[in-house]
Amino acid sequence: MTMASWSMQALDATRERIEVLGRDLVQGPAELADVIGSTKAAMMTGMGVRAFTYVVILLLVGIGIEWLYWSYAYAASRAAQSAPTASPRQALRPGLRRFFLRLCGLFLFAVAAIGASAAFSWPRGVQELVIAATLFLVVLRFAWIVVALVLAPGQPRLRLVPVASGRAGWLAALAMAVVFLFSLGRFVPELVERLAGASHAAGFLRFAAVTLASLLLLATAFIFFGRRTRAPRFPRAFVLALLVMLAYTSWLMSPMWGAIAAIGAAVIALQIGLRELVFFFWREDEDRVLPSIVLSAARFVVVLAGLGIAALVLEAPLASLAAAESPLIRLGLRLIGVATLALLTHVIWITLRTAIDQRLSRVPPPGTHRGPDPSSRLLTLLPLLRVTSAVLLLVMLVLTSLWALGLEITPVLAGAGVVGIALGFGAQALVRDVIAGVFYLAEDAFRIGEYIESGTNTKGVVERITLRTVALRHHNGPLHFVPYGALGTVRNTSRDWVIEKFNLPLPVDVDSEKIRKMIKKVGEEMAADPEVGPAMIEPLKGKLYRIDPGVKIFRCKFRTAPGNQFDVRAQAYKRIEAALARMGVGFADGKQTVLLSAPA
Amino acid sequence: MKLRGLRLVTGLLLMLFVTGHMANLMLGMHSLAAMEHWRPWLMGPWRNPLLQGLLVCSALIHIALGLYSMSQRRSLAMSKTDVIQLCLGLVTPPLLLNHAVVMHMAGEVTPNFDATFGEFLAVYWSFSPGYALQQLCVVMVVWMHAAVGLYSWLVLKPLWKRIGGLVLPVLFAIPVLALIGFAEAGKEVVEKLANDPVWRAHITENLKKIVQVTDPLDALQARILLVYGLLVLSAAGVLLWRMLRDRAMVSVAYDEGFSARGRRGLSILELSLANDVPHAHVCSARGRCGTCRVHVEAGADALSPRSSFEAYTLARVGAGANDRLACQARVVGPAVAVTRVLPAYADASAARTPEEWATP
Repeated sequence: MTMASWSMQALDATRERIEVLGRDLVQGPAELADVIGSTKAAMMTGMGVRAFTYVVILLLVGIGIEWLYWSYAYAASRAAQSAPTASPRQALRPGLRRFFLRLCGLFLFAVAAIGASAAFSWPRGVQELVIAATLFLVVLRFAWIVVALVLAPGQPRLRLVPVASGRAGWLAALAMAVVFLFSLGRFVPELVERLAGASHAAGFLRFAAVTLASLLLLATAFIFFGRRTRAPRFPRAFVLALLVMLAYTSWLMSPMWGAIAAIGAAVIALQIGLRELVFFFWREDEDRVLPSIVLSAARFVVVLAGLGIAALVLEAPLASLAAAESPLIRLGLRLIGVATLALLTHVIWITLRTAIDQRLSRVPPPGTHRGPDPSSRLLTLLPLLRVTSAVLLLVMLVLTSLWALGLEITPVLAGAGVVGIALGFGAQALVRDVIAGVFYLAEDAFRIGEYIESGTNTKGVVERITLRTVALRHHNGPLHFVPYGALGTVRNTSRDWVIEKFNLPLPVDVDSEKIRKMIKKVGEEMAADPEVGPAMIEPLKGKLYRIDPGVKIFRCKFRTAPGNQFDVRAQAYKRIEAALARMGVGFADGKQTVLLSAPA
Repeated sequence: MKLRGLRLVTGLLLMLFVTGHMANLMLGMHSLAAMEHWRPWLMGPWRNPLLQGLLVCSALIHIALGLYSMSQRRSLAMSKTDVIQLCLGLVTPPLLLNHAVVMHMAGEVTPNFDATFGEFLAVYWSFSPGYALQQLCVVMVVWMHAAVGLYSWLVLKPLWKRIGGLVLPVLFAIPVLALIGFAEAGKEVVEKLANDPVWRAHITENLKKIVQVTDPLDALQARILLVYGLLVLSAAGVLLWRMLRDRAMVSVAYDEGFSARGRRGLSILELSLANDVPHAHVCSARGRCGTCRVHVEAGADALSPRSSFEAYTLARVGAGANDRLACQARVVGPAVAVTRVLPAYADASAARTPEEWATP
């Protein structure tokens, strides 16, 4: 079918439809008056009285059952209504609880009323009428429950959408009026058509209901969305009004198109407002990531729901749709599948990224505190995890999308397998390095700023940790790049504490006990010193270690935090030297006393 | 408070009459003859001049008290139950007027008119069904009004625990069965009208008597309706005047950071309801249940003095010295701070067994 013939057909259909509408408008009112007159006449008979009696009975039964229900459920509903709420997010849970309680009551009412209608023998056609009327009532009440949940007129604490208090009531009234008109247009004309056979009257009623509802929606668009509350990005009111007009015009051309256009318009309108709606829930939070996830999910759900409702309205048999021959439909369904996959991947990715980023943002930047940095490990591993998961998710998404589109991915996977094996042989060392690295880091073998010695005799301060290598700065300057695979046993000299020992040779004639006490005193002074003291874990102590000819060797020992031992040792020497000088004791001078026997 | 007691008693009396009437209608499920047979027992007593006078007086007093209490409101902030009762109560007299006038006056204006069920059912089901539709609405409206009233009175009594499970189903079974009886009897009457010419002639003859007096009866109804309308309007006028009289603003601070602002002279509960502050009010501001009671933290002299009735209820529920009933304490000073004693979800059990809800 070419484009031209298709347009011609559409135009013809439209012309026909407009002619029918015109006839409805001309003949409808008179026919409607007839229908109303005959209904009145029918009500004024015994039949009418009986039908009305039954209706009153149904209402009483419904009300009675619901009352019984509420005499139990009222306290729960009040509790939900009066729950403390400070934000829309807190209001959502009690709001939903109340919503379901009321829904339950409505359901009981509907079931009781409709169920009781089976007990009576109705005049012809009346039962249909009564059930339609009950359903009409149920639809209105349902709409009210939803409006009360979302807009909560009169109860700003429980409101779920950003609407000012004074306007919520009006908006609720308008919403109810629109629902009323639409359900009137849905239920009444059908009955008029079927029971009275008055198709023009039905058409007229439909036209009147849809036109009025569209006018109300137009008014809503301008009154409620015309005001600028923030920097205007685009004319919201105008776009909304345009959508209403589009849907209405499509309805004038064909009811089916009208329904589709209305659903489309609703989806677009929701998409326009969705950002504000979702972010309203997190208005107190700084966190922007969670609302973004919810927003993208909500956007997708809205589109999917729109498609679903459209399928229901068109009465498209979903089962046969899946097996449809038309390549266009199949492609469409597959695209929906791919979109779902993309959304899922997106949500997983955002969740992962958020978790990683949040952990990373809590890690202080390296170098802000003394000593080896415990955060360096996370700073290495987390970005690595982020990149890896991104690549993994992307690959999975591409593969599953190809599969969802109906492309055969087994050869791709098999090919990837072969290439993988080839690459694997070549990249054996690389893989070994990377995996070994992951384990070194996971086991916290070293951190940036620590002095380590590897099994291959390279040593130095860890300067940089990458995916494959660790960079060690030797104390003389050279920088070693050691692949993890070659790291072997790691000797980390920067962990927890170090013990430093040094010898003190003194002349053999000194008093060992005095010296020991002197060293201990020096140690106590050092521990109390504000500069050296904090680095020390155990104070300096010394004791006689060995006596050599002419020399007494005292061994001194202290324990410090790693990396401080050299400074502390220098201090210790300095203080001991000063103390010895005060005692008048010199170091063993190494002079050998040679006694020469004079020749006799 | 004595007026409320009177309203309750007259209401109960009216409900007794309606129940008898309904019970009589239920017998229609059996047959028209059964209805007629039991009529002297179920409805006959009310034909006694004494009881009839009592009934009419009760109806008038009940209506007058309803209108009076409407005019005595200080604001439109009221519980849902009150809204329902007010609306149902207001539409009842005009809807019921026709039936009552025809029943009570026809006998007196027209000699030897027999107001049997057969006669009226024939009118409703065959001669002018419009009245039947009106009466069906009345059944629903009157019975809902009565049921809500009875329920909200009984549910506060300790007795309710034992009889509550029975009362509610019975409350709804009565009108449903009565209506079924009405429909069945109607069917019988329609058949009898078609198949029994003698009876039909009798009914038509009887009907002619009443048709003759239709005009004066209609005029009477119109006059009563006019008076009623004027009464309702004047009650609404008084209400409006009371609402507009004092426009100074007062404020109430509650626990949990809630606050309310409103006109001076409103009760604390009315301020809560108007400002969306969760506040328990089981008996709809009748001062009976004690669930709305508040602990006054500051500004006790900004509240209207305690009535003896309030003191009685407060003592009954075991309230402390600084407690007030929010529905009775009107805010006449600029500001007051209170703590709600019971959670907003307190239900009728808090009125029946206050000790179980006492805060530890």
